[in-house]
Amino acid sequence: MSGILVIAEQRRGELRPVSLELIGAAQSLKRAADPVTVAILSQAPERFTASLSVAGVDEIVTIKTAAAEFDPDTFEAAVGALVDQRNPDVVLVAHSVDSFGYAAALAERRGLGFATDVFKAEYLDGALVATRGGYGQKVSVEVDFPDRSTVLLALRANVFKPPEQPASPKVTDFAAPAAEARSTGKGFVELGAADDVDMTAAEFILTIGRGIGEESKVAEFRELADAVGATLGCSRPIADAGWLPKSRQVGQSGKTASACKLYVAMGVSGAIQHLAGMKHVSTIVAVNTDAEASIFSVAKYGIVGDIFEIAAELRKHF
Amino acid sequence: MSRTDAVTRILFEAFPTAEVRLFYAIGYAAIAVFLWGAYVQVRKYRRGAALPLGHLGQRLGSMLGAVFGGRTVDRRDHAAGGAHRLIFYGFFFLFLGTSTITLEYDILNPLFGIRFWHGAFYLWFSLVLDIAGVALIAGLLYMMYRRGWLQLPKLDYARPDRAPGDPDFDRPQYRREDWAFLWLLLVIGATGYLLEAARLVWLQGRPDVWDTRWWSPVGAAVAEALAAGGLGAGSAGLLRHGLWWFHGLIALFLIALIPRTKVKHIFTAAASLMVRDPLAAQRLPKVPEAQQHAGVAKITDFTWKQLLNLDACTKCGRCHEACPARAVGAPLSPRDVILSLREFANATLESGKLPDAAELDVHGKSPGQVAQETLWSCRTCMACVEICPVAVEHVPIIVQMRRKLVEDGDMDPLLTKTLQTITKTGNSFGESRRKRGAWSKALPFPVKDARKEPVDVLWFVGDYASFDPRNQKVSQLFAALLNEAGVDFGILYDGESNAGNDIRRVGEEGLYEMLAASNVKALASAKFNRIVTTDPHSFNTIRNEYPDFGGKFEIEHYTTLLKRLFAEGRLAVTAPLKYRTTFHDPCHLGRFNKGYDAPRDLLALLGCELVEMGRCKSNSFCCGAGGGRIWIPDPVGAEKPAQNRIREAAAIPGLEVYVVSCPKDLTMFEDAVKTTGNEGKFVVKELIELVREAIPARGAEAAA
Amino acid sequence: MKILVAVKQVAALDEDFQIREDGRDVDPDFFVRDLNEWDDFSLEEAVKIKEASPSPVEVVVVTVGPDEAEEALRKCLAKGADRAVRVWDDAIEGSDPIAIARVVAAIAKHEAPDMLFAGVQSSDQSFASTGIAIAGLLRWPHAAVVSSLTYTPGARSATARRELEGGLLQEIEVQCPAVLTIQLGINTPRYASLRAIKQAAAKPIETRSLADLGLNESHVGEAGSLSRVRRMYIPEKGRAQLIEGDAAAQAGRLAEIIKEFKGEAA
Repeated sequence: MSGILVIAEQRRGELRPVSLELIGAAQSLKRAADPVTVAILSQAPERFTASLSVAGVDEIVTIKTAAAEFDPDTFEAAVGALVDQRNPDVVLVAHSVDSFGYAAALAERRGLGFATDVFKAEYLDGALVATRGGYGQKVSVEVDFPDRSTVLLALRANVFKPPEQPASPKVTDFAAPAAEARSTGKGFVELGAADDVDMTAAEFILTIGRGIGEESKVAEFRELADAVGATLGCSRPIADAGWLPKSRQVGQSGKTASACKLYVAMGVSGAIQHLAGMKHVSTIVAVNTDAEASIFSVAKYGIVGDIFEIAAELRKHF
Repeated sequence: MSRTDAVTRILFEAFPTAEVRLFYAIGYAAIAVFLWGAYVQVRKYRRGAALPLGHLGQRLGSMLGAVFGGRTVDRRDHAAGGAHRLIFYGFFFLFLGTSTITLEYDILNPLFGIRFWHGAFYLWFSLVLDIAGVALIAGLLYMMYRRGWLQLPKLDYARPDRAPGDPDFDRPQYRREDWAFLWLLLVIGATGYLLEAARLVWLQGRPDVWDTRWWSPVGAAVAEALAAGGLGAGSAGLLRHGLWWFHGLIALFLIALIPRTKVKHIFTAAASLMVRDPLAAQRLPKVPEAQQHAGVAKITDFTWKQLLNLDACTKCGRCHEACPARAVGAPLSPRDVILSLREFANATLESGKLPDAAELDVHGKSPGQVAQETLWSCRTCMACVEICPVAVEHVPIIVQMRRKLVEDGDMDPLLTKTLQTITKTGNSFGESRRKRGAWSKALPFPVKDARKEPVDVLWFVGDYASFDPRNQKVSQLFAALLNEAGVDFGILYDGESNAGNDIRRVGEEGLYEMLAASNVKALASAKFNRIVTTDPHSFNTIRNEYPDFGGKFEIEHYTTLLKRLFAEGRLAVTAPLKYRTTFHDPCHLGRFNKGYDAPRDLLALLGCELVEMGRCKSNSFCCGAGGGRIWIPDPVGAEKPAQNRIREAAAIPGLEVYVVSCPKDLTMFEDAVKTTGNEGKFVVKELIELVREAIPARGAEAAA
Repeated sequence: MKILVAVKQVAALDEDFQIREDGRDVDPDFFVRDLNEWDDFSLEEAVKIKEASPSPVEVVVVTVGPDEAEEALRKCLAKGADRAVRVWDDAIEGSDPIAIARVVAAIAKHEAPDMLFAGVQSSDQSFASTGIAIAGLLRWPHAAVVSSLTYTPGARSATARRELEGGLLQEIEVQCPAVLTIQLGINTPRYASLRAIKQAAAKPIETRSLADLGLNESHVGEAGSLSRVRRMYIPEKGRAQLIEGDAAAQAGRLAEIIKEFKGEAA
C-alpha cells in the first residue's frame, strides 16, 4: 500500500484536537489516489471512530491497548507493526509529548525518514519536503528524505486546519503484537489546583513574560489586569520562577487560551511553546522593547516600548 | 644644691620595703597579664592569611600623622573629635610622664646613676601633667554626656541584621564596656588629683613640696580645699597611702586589661592606620592564581591585616550612619559586620588550639556569622571605608565573603542570570556584541573605530551608555560635543566589553578577570593617547584595577575633559543656563577617585546655581545601584536608596535640576523621581545634557 | 553507580545573521554558543542525585561536537560532573538527531551507566528526538518530558512525573536503567563561577573517535541520518501593525482596543 497513515491521539477518553489537524494536513498533502488511514490506540478505540469520521479519511484502524493511557512501548510496537503491514508513504503524528515518547525510537528502528516539529509538508518534484524551524525559529529549514520509502513526520499543533465535513470511512480492527510495557502510568495530576482561575475560559487575558524582570513587579501587573478586567496570565519563565502559579501559564505545557478573544502580551518574547497556546486568538496586542521579538509575528497590534511605562499609562485609562 | 634642685616627685615615701616589694610584684604580674594577652592577640592575627607589606617608614609616618593629628576622628563629628583629642593628649602626657618615672627610678638611676627627675624639669613636668589630667577628665565628661544624654543613633547597638530577641541583637555587653572604660579612666584621673592633694597636705611642712605646690595647680587647689576643710597632715598621710594603692592598682588593672577590652584600640587602631590601603575599595585584591577557592569561607581565610582591622573598630558608628543600605532598612550595618566577625575571631582564634575547619565558617546566621542577605545588601559605595577613623576596610571584607557566595551560587536568581548573560555577550543587557556601537549610527558624522585607526582620545563607553535607550541619547550628545570641539576620538565598538567594575564588586572574580583581560587586550591593540569615559564605574576599574592586569592607561572622566575643552576655548557657552541645581556625586567618581571639582566647575561655567545637598562630596549618598545591586531586585515596599536621596534633594527650595554624571544614576534617579511623587517638580539630567543645552546653536545643527 | 548525561552546545543567532553560501545553514560567524538550557537542568538533576546518594555516584557528561563544544563540557565539569567525553569526526557533520543518538548510544554501551539523562530538546533545533532515539538504540525503557523525579542510584525503578500539554502531569514508574528526557523547571541549576569553569579546564576531557566506538562513516552524517537539510532561509514574518507615538499615545490606543472589546463583550 502507499498513502498516508495518521496516528490520532487521545487522552483520558478525549480525542486530542490535534488529531483532526493531522487529518487536515494529510488531506492537503496527499497525491491523487493516496488513501488516508487514521489509527487510534485506546483501551476502547471504537469510542473515537465517530469523531474521526471526517472528510478525507478513507479508513479508520482501531487498535486495542491494554493500558488506558499512552505508554511508549505499546505505541512503538503497535504503530511499528501497522507501518510494517501497511507500508505507507507518510506517517503523520503530532509533535506532542506522546510522540516525543516513541516516534524517534520507532523511526530509528525501522529506518523511516523522520522530521519533527514540521509546520509545512509538500511534494516538490515528486520528493517529500518538510519545513521546520531552526535556531529558535529564526530560520526555516527544509528537509528531505532521500531513499526513504516511508517518512514519519511529527506535525506542529495549531497549524493545519482540521476538516469539518463528516464522512463515513470504513473501520478496521488491527491486532497489535503484545508488547511489554516497561513503564506504568500511575495517574494524572492537575497543576495549579490551588488557584481557581481557568485560563481556558478567559475571554480577555493579559500576560506577563520575562520582560518584567523581577518578582516585585508582578503585583503591579496583577493590579493592572484587575483594573482593565483581564485575567492575568504568564509565560513559562514566570511560572517556573514561582512568581505566578503554574495554572496561569499559557503555552504548550501550560494552558491554551481557548476562549480568548483579546490577548495582551507584555514583555513576552514569544517562544514557540508560548505561541502554541495563544497565537489563534483573534486580537493579540504585543508590548515589547525588542522590535524583533517573535511575538510581533503573531500579534495584530504591536507596541515597541517599555512595558512599565505603557502599563503606567494604560492604568490611567481605567 | 639650690632649693628647687631638691624638688622631686614623692614616690614610695614612707612605704615599708615589704609594701614596695608587693607593689612591684603586682606591677610585674599586671605586665605579665598584659604581655600574655598581647601574645594571644598577635597569635590570633597570625592565624590569618599572609599578606606582604612594604613601605614601613612611609606607613609609620602617615600613621603618626593620623594618630597625633586626630583628623580622622574629627571628621563629621567635631565635638567627638575634640573630646577625643583631649582624652588622647591627656592620656598621652600622663602615660608619658608616668613612664619617665619608671625610666629614672627603675632603669637609669639604678643602672647608671642618672637622675633627671628634679628641679625645673620636675616642676614643668608637674604642670604639664596637671593640665593633661584636666584635659583627660574634660574629654571623658563630654563623652559621658554624649553617650548618656545625646542618644546618638550611631551609638545605638541595635542591629538591622538581627531581630529583637536574638541573642546578639543589641549587645548590652558593649554598652557596659563603654561605660566601664569611661568610668575607669575618670576614676584614675580623679584619684590622681586627690592623691596629689593628699600628698601636698601630708607634706605641707616640707617647703620643697608645699612651696612649689602651684606647679600642680589642680592638685594644689584640691589640697587647699582639703586643708580648709580641716584635713590634717596625719590624716592626709593615711589618705595618701590608701589612695596611692587604689590609684596604682586600678592603673595596673587597666594595663593588664588592655588586650582584652576596647582599651586595645590604642594599639590596634594605630596599627590598623599604619597598614591602611588608600585604595582599599577602589582596587580590590586579586585572587592568587594558585589559590583553590576565591574568597573567604573561614575566619582564617582573612588576612592578618583584616583580622587586625576587626580589632581596631571602636564602635564609633560612623560607618553605620553613612551606609545607604542601613539607611533604607536593609539588613546590613558595616559596623555589625565588623563586630560580628571580631566576636567570631575572638571565639575561635584566641584559644590555644585552632578549632576544626567546620567551626571556622563565617557564613551563616549564628552569632558571629554573617548572613547572605547582609552581604548582598552592600552597594560597595565605600561610604564606610571612607569615614572610618581607624582605617577599617569593610568593602574588601564584604566582597571577599561574596566571592565565596558566588562560588557556591548563593545569590539572587536575577543576578545569576545577569552574570551568565555577561559571560555570554559581554554586556549586562543581553544584547548582541555587534550592537554595542549601534547608538552612534544616529549621528550625522561617523564615529571612528579606534581598533582600525589611531585616535587622540579613546572613549570607553560602558554598558549603560551603549545599550540603555535613555543613556544612548546622552552618548549621542557627548559624541556631538566632542565632534564640535574638534576632538579626534573613537570607540572600540564590539571590541569593548563591560568594564567589570561591578562584576568584581559582586564577587564574580573569574568573570572580572575575563572581562579585564579582554578589555586590556582590546585597548592595548588600539592606538590612542588617553582614554575618556562617561561611566564612573568603568573609570574606576580601568584607572585603579586594570594596572594589576597589565593595562596601564591614562584615563579621565568626561567632566575633566569637558572642563579642559572650555578652558581651551574649544567649547563656549552661548546660552547660559540659570537653573537652580544640585549635584549628586557618583560614588565611583567622587569618593572613589576624588573627582569632586570638575562637575561643579562645569556647572558654574554653564551659569547654573549649585545648592549642595547635606550629603555631598565624600559623604555623597549612593544611588543604590553599586556593587551589582542594580541586578538584584530591591525588596517590595521598602524605601530604595535612590528614593531616600531624591527626598533629600526635594527639600531644596526651588530646585529645578538634579544633576548627575553617571549613566546608572540617570536610570536610578529618574525612576526615583517618579516613584517619590516628585515628577513635575524637578528633573534629573546628565551634566552632558546641560552642557548641550548651554551650547544650543551648533547643537541644533548636530541634531538635524 | 553512574549517570550519563548527554549534552549539546547549542547556537543562538547573533544580530543580522546571514545564511551560509551553500544555503543549507547559517554562517557560523553569527553563532553565539552556549550549553543547551535543557541540558543545564538534566545535569543539575544528575548532580543532585549524586550529592544526595550515600553510595558513590559518577556523573559523566557526553557530547558530540567539534573542539569548541568543550566549552560546554567545561561548564558541566564546573557544575559537578566527574568526567566529560567528547566525540567528533568530520564525518559527523550534517548528522540528524538520529545519527547523533547512534554515537551517544555507542558511548553509553561503553560506559554502561545506570541511568541516562538528556534534555527534552535543544533550544536551537528543537528536534526533541535525540534522547528517545538513544533509548531506542539501547533498547532501554524511557520516559519523555520528565518534570520531577524520584530515583535512588542503583534502584530497579524510578518514579517520575511527565509534563503533558495543558498543565497536566502524568505520574509513571519506569524500569531502570532508563533514558529520561528532562524538562525545564525540574530543579534550579546552579551557577558555575568563571573560576570554577577555568579550573575545570585542568580536568581532562576524554575524546573518542568513531573507530573507538565501533562506528564508521556510514553510521553518521547524511549517510546515517533519516533526513537531510535541503535549504535554510529566513522566513517572511507576519508583522503586527505597530502602534506609534509616545508611551501615553500608545497606551491610549491600547486602552481603546480594550474598551472596544469590552463594549462588544457586554
